[in-house]
Order: sequence, then C-alpha cells, then structure tokens
Amino acid sequence: MRRRDLALLPAIGLAAPALAQSDQRPTVTVAVQKISNSNTLETPREQSNVGFRISTLYAESLIGTNWTGDMGQVPELASAWRRVDDRTVEFDLRQGVKMHDGRTMSAEDVQFSLAGARLFGSGEGRTRGGITAGQDGLEPQPEVIATARRTFPGLERVEIVREGVVRFINRTPDVTIEGRVAQNVGVILSRAAFEAAGNWLAWARQPVGTGPYRVVEFRPDQSLTFEAHDDYWGGRPPARRVRILEVPEVSSRINALISGEVDFATDIPPDQVAAVERNARFEVLGSPINNIRLIVFDQNHAMLRNPLVRRAMTHAIDRRAIVEALWAGRTEIPRGMQLEFFGDMYLREWDNPRFDLAEARRLLREANYRGEPIPYRCLNNYYINQTATAQVMVEMWRAAGLNVQLQMMENWSQIQEPGPTRGVRDWSNTHVFSDPVGSLARAMGPGGPLQRNREWTNEEFNRLSVELEGSTDRARRRVVFQRMLAIIEREDPGYMVLHTAATFVAKRRDIQWKASRGWPLDFRAGNLAFPA
Amino acid sequence: MLRFTATRLVRAAITIVMVVTFAFVVLRLSGDPAQIIMGADAPPEAVDAFRTAWGLDEPLWVQYISYFGAIFSGDLGRSMRDGREAIVLVLERIPATLALTVPALVIKLALGIPAGILAALYRNSALDRAVMMFAVAGFTIPSFVLGLLLVLLFAVQLGWLPSGGQESWRHAILPVITLGIGGAAALARFTRSAMLEVLGQPYIRTASAKGVAWRRVVANHALPNAAIPTVTIIGFMFGSLIAGAVVVESVFSWPGVGRLLVTAVANRDLAVVQCILLLVAMTMITANLVVDLLYGVLDPRLRGGARKAEA
Repeated sequence: MRRRDLALLPAIGLAAPALAQSDQRPTVTVAVQKISNSNTLETPREQSNVGFRISTLYAESLIGTNWTGDMGQVPELASAWRRVDDRTVEFDLRQGVKMHDGRTMSAEDVQFSLAGARLFGSGEGRTRGGITAGQDGLEPQPEVIATARRTFPGLERVEIVREGVVRFINRTPDVTIEGRVAQNVGVILSRAAFEAAGNWLAWARQPVGTGPYRVVEFRPDQSLTFEAHDDYWGGRPPARRVRILEVPEVSSRINALISGEVDFATDIPPDQVAAVERNARFEVLGSPINNIRLIVFDQNHAMLRNPLVRRAMTHAIDRRAIVEALWAGRTEIPRGMQLEFFGDMYLREWDNPRFDLAEARRLLREANYRGEPIPYRCLNNYYINQTATAQVMVEMWRAAGLNVQLQMMENWSQIQEPGPTRGVRDWSNTHVFSDPVGSLARAMGPGGPLQRNREWTNEEFNRLSVELEGSTDRARRRVVFQRMLAIIEREDPGYMVLHTAATFVAKRRDIQWKASRGWPLDFRAGNLAFPA
Repeated sequence: MLRFTATRLVRAAITIVMVVTFAFVVLRLSGDPAQIIMGADAPPEAVDAFRTAWGLDEPLWVQYISYFGAIFSGDLGRSMRDGREAIVLVLERIPATLALTVPALVIKLALGIPAGILAALYRNSALDRAVMMFAVAGFTIPSFVLGLLLVLLFAVQLGWLPSGGQESWRHAILPVITLGIGGAAALARFTRSAMLEVLGQPYIRTASAKGVAWRRVVANHALPNAAIPTVTIIGFMFGSLIAGAVVVESVFSWPGVGRLLVTAVANRDLAVVQCILLLVAMTMITANLVVDLLYGVLDPRLRGGARKAEA
C-alpha cells in the first residue's frame, strides 16, 4: 500500500458512519388520475380537485385547514391572527419559516403573495393576448388575475405593520377574510424566486413555497417529483421523495398498486374497494369531503318554469337508497348546502326536502304536469358513480310520474350550453371555507356560475346573498342563510342536494396514514409512517 | 414520374386542408375550450378572461381565418392549456411514441410475414390452422383488453414487468408486445391470403412444371408478387407510427403522442390537436407516396404506367 493510500484511511474511516447515516427515508409513489389540468402548479391557475390534492405538499397559507380532523382553521404560516375591525385582520407571521430556496419567509413575501404581482400582475397589462402566456415575462395569465379578484373581491391592500406582522385590509366589512386567506389561492410563495423565474410559465411549473416537500421535477401529464424540505417548520418530512405518477385508467392504477410499483392509488371508485381489499396487503381509506353533489335545475326550461315541478323532483329522490346502493354507505347526506365545519353558521334544524312520492305526485298534479319530457344532461362519470346515479334518479323520477330523459354529453361546455333542451344537470360544490359565503353565495349568488350561466335567479335570494357577504352581525347572518336555503332548496329550487362527495385512496396496509376529509394528500410528519 | 409525384402532392395538400378544416369545425362546434379547460368549478370571471385572451369570443369564421393565416405563416399556435408552442409539445412526445411503435413494427414484420407465408405454403395443415387461430385471436382481441391481460399476468401475478409508465426499457416491453401482436396477426392474415392468391396463378404452375425447385418458385415468383398487397398494409403501419398507439399509451400510462392527442381532444386544445393531425396526415401521405413508388419497384408494369402518365 502506498503512503498516499495510507493517508486516506482515516478519511475513509470517518466517512463510513456518515454513509451509514445517509438518508434512509423511503420514497412514496402515488398514482393519480391527473396531476394538473392546466399543466401548472400555480394555485390560482389550477383551481381544480386535482390541484387541491397536491398543493398542500409544496405550499401553505397563513391560515391552514385541519384536513385530517375537524376541518377547522389552524395556524399555519401565521402563528396567530386577530380582528382589528370589520375590514382588517392582523397576522403574526410564524418566525424562522424556511422557504424552498433557503430564504426565510418575510412579510414582503406575504405581501407579494396576497396582493402583489403574483396574483394581480404589474398592472401594466399585456402587449398581446393570452396566446403568448408564459413567454411575456412574469405577467400572470388573465384568468389568474380574474381568480384572484374573485377570491379577494374586497382587498384594499396588505400592509406590513412591522417585520413579522401584516394586516389584510378590505375595502368593505367582511367576516370571511380569514376563510378567504385560508384558500390555496392565497398560499405564500417566494418573491425572490418569482422575480428570478424569467417567465410566468417557468414559475408556475416550479413555484417556491414553504410546504413539507419542494418541487424538483414536473413532467406535465407524466410525473411530478418532490423532495423532502428538511428545514420544514412542521418537522422533518417522513418521506425522502414523493413521486406523483399520472395513471389515467383506474384499472392501471390498481394494478400498479398491487404489483408494488406505487404505494398509493387515488380516485378509486366505491365498486372497486372490495376488489382491492380482497388482498390483505392493501386497504382503501377515504371519507366524505368538503364537496356536495347536487342536481341543478334550469328554471327557463318550459317544464321547469313552474317551481312546483322542481319541488316535485326534489321530493322524488331517495338519497339514502343511492348512498347505500352506489356508495356502500360510505358517504353522507348533508342537511342542505352546508357542512358541520360551518361552526355557529351551521343550521342543525335544516334538512333536505324529504323523500315523499305522494307529495311529489300531488305537486305534479297541482302543476298540471302531463308527462312532458325534461332533459337531463349528464357526463360519463366525471363524478364518481355519476352515470349510475343519473340512471337511478331517472327511474325514481319516473316512479313519481316525471318523464326525465337522460342525455349523455361529452364536456362541460355541452352540459352548460343554453337553450330549450337544457333542463337538469349534475354539479358539485366545494365548500372552500367554513362559511356559507364560501359555497352558497360563491356558487349560487349573483356572481356565481349558476346565475352567470342563466340557469336560475331569484331577486330576494340575490339581495340576501349580498347581505350575507357584507354583514358582520352573526345572528342576522344565520337568519339570512336560513332564508336563502329556504328559497333555493324549497320554495323556488335552483338545485337539489344529493349527497356529500367522497374520495377513496387505496394504499399499502403497512404504511400508517390517515386520509384527509378533503382532496389534499397529507404526507407531513405525524400523518405518515413506514414499517420499521 | 414527375407528374405522377406532383399529382399526389397536390392531392396530399388538399387532404391536409380538409383534415384541418374538419377538425377545426368539429372541435370548435362541440365545446367551448374555455369552459372545458378551466373546469366546472372555475369562477365565471376566470372563464371569461380566458375566452377573451384566446380570442374564443370572436365569431367562428374570424377564428378560422386567423388560425389558417397563422398556419400559412408557419405558426402552428400554442396550447391553450399551458401556453407552450403546440409543435414543441408534439415533438417532445414523438420519441416516446416511436419507442413503442418502431419495435412493435419490427415484431409485426418479423412475426406476421413469416407466419403468413408458412400458413399459405402449408395450407390446411395443422400449422396453418394454428397460425390462423392465433392470428384471428390477435386480430380480434382489442388492444386494451390484451394490454390489461398482459399486465395482470406479467405485472400483477408474476411481478416480472412494470404495469405502466416510462422509466426504463422494461416499461416498454408490455406495450410493445400489445401493439406488436395485433399488427402481426393482421399482417399474417393479409400475407397468407396474398400468398394463396399468387400460388394459385398459372405462372406458378408453369414454373413448377418446368422443374424449377419449389424453394426457387416461392422465392423468385410467389413472394415478389405477393409483396404488392402486403406492402400496402405495411405502408399503413408506417403511417400510423406517430399516432397508432392511442389506446395502448392510455392503458400503459405511456406519455406519447397518442395520450397527448386524447388529452388535447378532451380539452378542445385546438392548436395541439391540429398539430398532431397535420403530422399524422403528413406521415400517412408520405407512407402512401412511398408505397406508390414501391409498387413501381415491385411491378415493372406499373413503372411503365407511370412513364406513360408522364408522357
């Protein structure tokens, strides 16, 4: 052995334990139906179920949601917050939060993320249309700005009180500021990384946040790879890497799980749960989430113009039978368009129109309905069990004397196309925060999709919706909310609640993990553990 | 020959214009890309902003003219999903698709042609029946069923191969076999019937009667003549190299042009769909042109015809 080699021995001796201590954490591989609809990871551009599923892995808001618990608001990047007045909420920023670029999160990052160029652009406008998106520098796409304005409609400014304290100031009184800030549109990202990104698309493909995992590679329509962010304020992540693989076919996702190529497979239909669990090595977890499936009525349709016919339709559906038959009882029937996480705004005494065929027939007689066809536009299983549910409901309506005709469509545009053949359609409504403003007013109010699509409107409802959004009197808001429900679910139905949506994830049984009560996958320390 | 080629090129150009126009009209009339791409839950303001930004609020004929104007100036447009150039998106996916379709084509040729020839030469024998039984099975089983069966056997039960994705050469094995078997079966049936037709011709009987060895009869007289119809189907197979694996790519989560096409059609992402259609049409037209030229090589009578046409 040469003298030079001998000199290396101590170094090798020192290196051996270090190698032994190298990162032994496993990689988690997840098969999903879709990674991102927009091929971006910027939350205001990817406002979809699939986007909600992954955004919590890499980005966080000032206020978080207790997804695996009661769905309540929890401190996240703000350690505390308080109301200054009806228009202002003050946030104490969590100290020492490291971002994925190694910088410490600052008040400027918060200001930039909630009220700056990331969401609202530079204000200089674009020289060309969206066709050049991603190539014209950092100006966000027009739909990003539109989504930001919709999320924070009353935002006046975000003010830095001092380092570590910021204020969200609204132009108008708003009791829902906290809920709006908790949405994933308002995640806090690195201003420096944004400015260094070069163009908006590059930024949107690799946003730099504070979440437990950082984006290392995004191959659109194929895979998304995260690495553990070991400086994460909430504890060292339990997985070294998280790989999200896009596997569109449900059978392929299940096969990938059973063959050991992936550890988790999402979007498992209820009728596949038993098939997966026949193998003792796997289990399916999941539960109702913060999304309600509903049927929308077009009050302009010749037969549905009369509210009595719509009321009859609401009484003709046996929701419990649908949940038992098609969901094996694994989801719930909410009491109207509300969830218990509304807290003091939850109306415990409210309920859906009861299943009562006699009442449905009586209402149809009163409406002088004589079996005229009512079209029902439906997509092929965009929602889990959608087609089967539609077929069951058509038969239930038939039993009440309603002639509802199913029309299979290919896309949302065809579903929403106005005209005399638009009658009934499927929809779902996500409760984006714990207040009826985040669901009922947002979706059904004067500016919501239901009314913008000219399917339904009601003058009193619209007046109340404005009051619900602006009022700070909580007792009065409860009264307003109940009256709104009475109008849109009972007197002049605009929709009919079916059941709470549920999502199911198949996984290796030996991995300890709890499914969230929403779309997000939670792979933080404390919610994910591997066998020794 | 020049006129022959020029006529076909003009026909090809007309075909491409028709394909692009048809696709434009169908895609634009069957759904609003803004609503589809932004999704059912997007705020209406965001959908409107998207529509305006992409000029989707313009009359259809204005969109059509502006789209064709861009194509003729060499701009194939951008994906409405993420703003990237459509041609870049498509070109990125071509290697992945070729990684499946080229080996599959080799399998089709290597299995299908010899099997068809043997089946014809040993007509009505056990070999013929066995080849035809496998050919009919391979031809009639849909590729997604065959793919899933192979996955169940080799990935789920035996654990020998991955069930999907594109991370190593092992991931390509099952999709290549799935694609190859169906094509080989079709080619075997085609080759067999072409060979049987040729073997029944008087010149084969004459050559045999003259005492030419059977092996030479087959090699020098039967095979070249049976090649003409077989070349036609091989031409189609070449033409479908780019977009011939749509179903298989979906079943095996293989990120090729086929999956891009499915996604783009579902999203009414016009520029991407048109770009793929243009590429497919050009590949198919080129393959047809090559096949036409090969006819001339294989059959001297057609060469004469071409010369006549040129004169």
